[in-house]
Amino acid sequence: MATSVRNRKSVPIAIGFVLLLVTAAVGLFKIFDATVSLRESPPVETLAFERTVFDEGTIEVQVRNDGPDEVIVAQLLVNDSYWNFEVTDRELSRLETATISLEYPWEEGLPVVMSVVTATGITITHVVEAATLTPDADASTFVTYALLGLYIGVIPVVFGLFSFPLLKRISKPWLGFFLALTIGLLVFLFIDTVVEGLELAGETAGSLDGVGLFVIGALLAVSGLMYLEDFLGRRKSGVSTSTASRGLVLAYLIAAGIGLHNLGEGLAVGSAIAAGEVALGTFLVIGFALHNTTEGLAIVAPMGGEQGRPSLWHFAGLGAVAGAPTILGAWIGGFLFAPAWAALMFGLAAGAVAQVVWAIGSSMRGEMSLSRGLPTLGFLTGLVVMYGTGLLVA
Amino acid sequence: MGSVNRRRFFQRAGLAGAAGGAALVGGKKLVSAESEHQRAGKVIVAQGARAAHGSAHGGQGAVGTVDHERNGFHPLEVLTDFDYGEVSKDVAGRTVRDYEFVVANKEIEIAPGVFFPAWTYNGRVPGPSIRAIEGDRIRVRLVNTTEHKHTIHFHGIHPANMDGIPGVGEVGPGETFVYDFIAEPFGTHLYHCHSHPLAQHIQRGLYGAFIIDPKKGRPPANEMVLVMNAFDTNFDGANEVYAANTVAFAYVNDPIPIRKGELQRMHVINVTEFDPLNSIHLHANFFNVFRTGTSLEPSEFTDILSFVQAERHMVEFTYQEEGLFMFHAHQTEFVDLGWMSFFEVS
Repeated sequence: MATSVRNRKSVPIAIGFVLLLVTAAVGLFKIFDATVSLRESPPVETLAFERTVFDEGTIEVQVRNDGPDEVIVAQLLVNDSYWNFEVTDRELSRLETATISLEYPWEEGLPVVMSVVTATGITITHVVEAATLTPDADASTFVTYALLGLYIGVIPVVFGLFSFPLLKRISKPWLGFFLALTIGLLVFLFIDTVVEGLELAGETAGSLDGVGLFVIGALLAVSGLMYLEDFLGRRKSGVSTSTASRGLVLAYLIAAGIGLHNLGEGLAVGSAIAAGEVALGTFLVIGFALHNTTEGLAIVAPMGGEQGRPSLWHFAGLGAVAGAPTILGAWIGGFLFAPAWAALMFGLAAGAVAQVVWAIGSSMRGEMSLSRGLPTLGFLTGLVVMYGTGLLVA
Repeated sequence: MGSVNRRRFFQRAGLAGAAGGAALVGGKKLVSAESEHQRAGKVIVAQGARAAHGSAHGGQGAVGTVDHERNGFHPLEVLTDFDYGEVSKDVAGRTVRDYEFVVANKEIEIAPGVFFPAWTYNGRVPGPSIRAIEGDRIRVRLVNTTEHKHTIHFHGIHPANMDGIPGVGEVGPGETFVYDFIAEPFGTHLYHCHSHPLAQHIQRGLYGAFIIDPKKGRPPANEMVLVMNAFDTNFDGANEVYAANTVAFAYVNDPIPIRKGELQRMHVINVTEFDPLNSIHLHANFFNVFRTGTSLEPSEFTDILSFVQAERHMVEFTYQEEGLFMFHAHQTEFVDLGWMSFFEVS
């Protein structure tokens, strides 16, 4: 007893001591900065263009100094011409942001190249491939984005869920095929998410460390879903006697993983429209919709091998968990887009998908084992299907 | 500018600088306007054009003003401050002009708020405008305070040992050399550093006008030196700022004051690096061309003249009306990047 009391007291003291040491070390470094003598070289000036808003005859750009040194905004080049502008703060210290606003006769669909010329003559360039009016955050665009999310997220996933009755009638090996198909789909999604996420991480302001955010997001999702699986499993086994429990838990896990992935997808679509960098056609929406129908199939696959049918409410719940984040993503992408947020969310999605692949894989045993013929075929089919439907979006 | 940006620019040349385009149309209109209405219309249109290039929000141009005092030279003064040197006579009775040129590194403001690490002759870009009469003896003592080797290479006729090239009349840090030669032939010439790498030594600011008058003299006129130059501020091998006499849009903020009816004689010199060609175009007027200034009779009457690197010509013109008159390179991308100017005729 006496030992535990002493321990409890000593923990905060130890933490405090370590913090004090670190603070002292940082302070000493600030005072006797050894790198000062190495900093004779020219300043490292960088700016991240975080958000560009196009309005009738005007452009507004938010920039952040993501480098180690101060950046002084001296002049602005727009399409290789010096142009008048106003800026909220001309001298930006590390991580400071400023808004540059200008009147410019930009044209719909044509590129706009903006270069900030700093006091030292460095040019920092941002290219908008195709300028387009930035939607206002009013009710109607809010609804438009929600409908878009519904189309590409919720409805296709629900369609996919309708394959449940089919899955009930098939044999174990064929169920293995569909589970493996699910894994194939998800592995493809995983790769897709990692590539996209790291690309966005690269656009993030340097000192915000996009890759770091991506990794944190991924680990957060993995540990979160592991905890969720454990929690749901314990609750089901303790309280309910339903034989569908194991499959249903897995289904929700997959739905959550896919939901996080779809959040990223919504973000991609919303921000693409907002940033004016992709002219989004019906084709893109159709592509995403087909792509996502397969996700519904992935969700219900683990329930196929079990007795009975979960209530319809569960199907609605699964659809919402997997699809609704697309709407949220589209809103965030459309109205609040910043690459740093996107990197974090794509990280979450990648981690979630990876965790779900692991969960499904470990549930497949015996006749459904991944090394059997039909499941192997299923896995490869999943990859091919994803690639094929992905072509519609590319 | 990267090559991609440059290409983009050419694809959409019409988009950029809509204000510039409007101003140009305005200028053309002046010429065709009825003379009774011309004066009033001219002033209004020209001022509108100037506003579009000046501080008006939403227009083309640089934001803010350059601190010429800190630079140590004003583009309006650079126009006319000819340097005749310290004049004496040698034993033969020949006029001797002595100069001292000090090469020094200096940060200069070439557009509002944009500072360029220039290399300068006597602290200014362009360097002093040497002015002599054909047959004068020129003696220029070069002092090098920098960490690099430098020369002065004069365009003119002189002995090989006075050529100012690597190894000949090249001065290292802390060294000096005296260039000593006879000024010939008469004309509009230039001098520049010829140390290697050559493009770097020129684009950093080591150049200036070298004007030799004919013995017979020329008719009286308001004489000006206009050095067309440009600056690669981010050192990517392409220019970010173009100018006449160093400061972008300088003669938009301070139009060059000239008198109605007075003969104007302008020595135009191109030292632009990285772009093979520059040009000058006067609005609402034509000018006589004296190629390289080496003749007493004009060879051409035009409103636009092209210059390759180091090419220079003397042009003469007279404005018969008051008002603001635009002049600029007719490489329109140079206009958008700073080579835009005005005369204010009164």
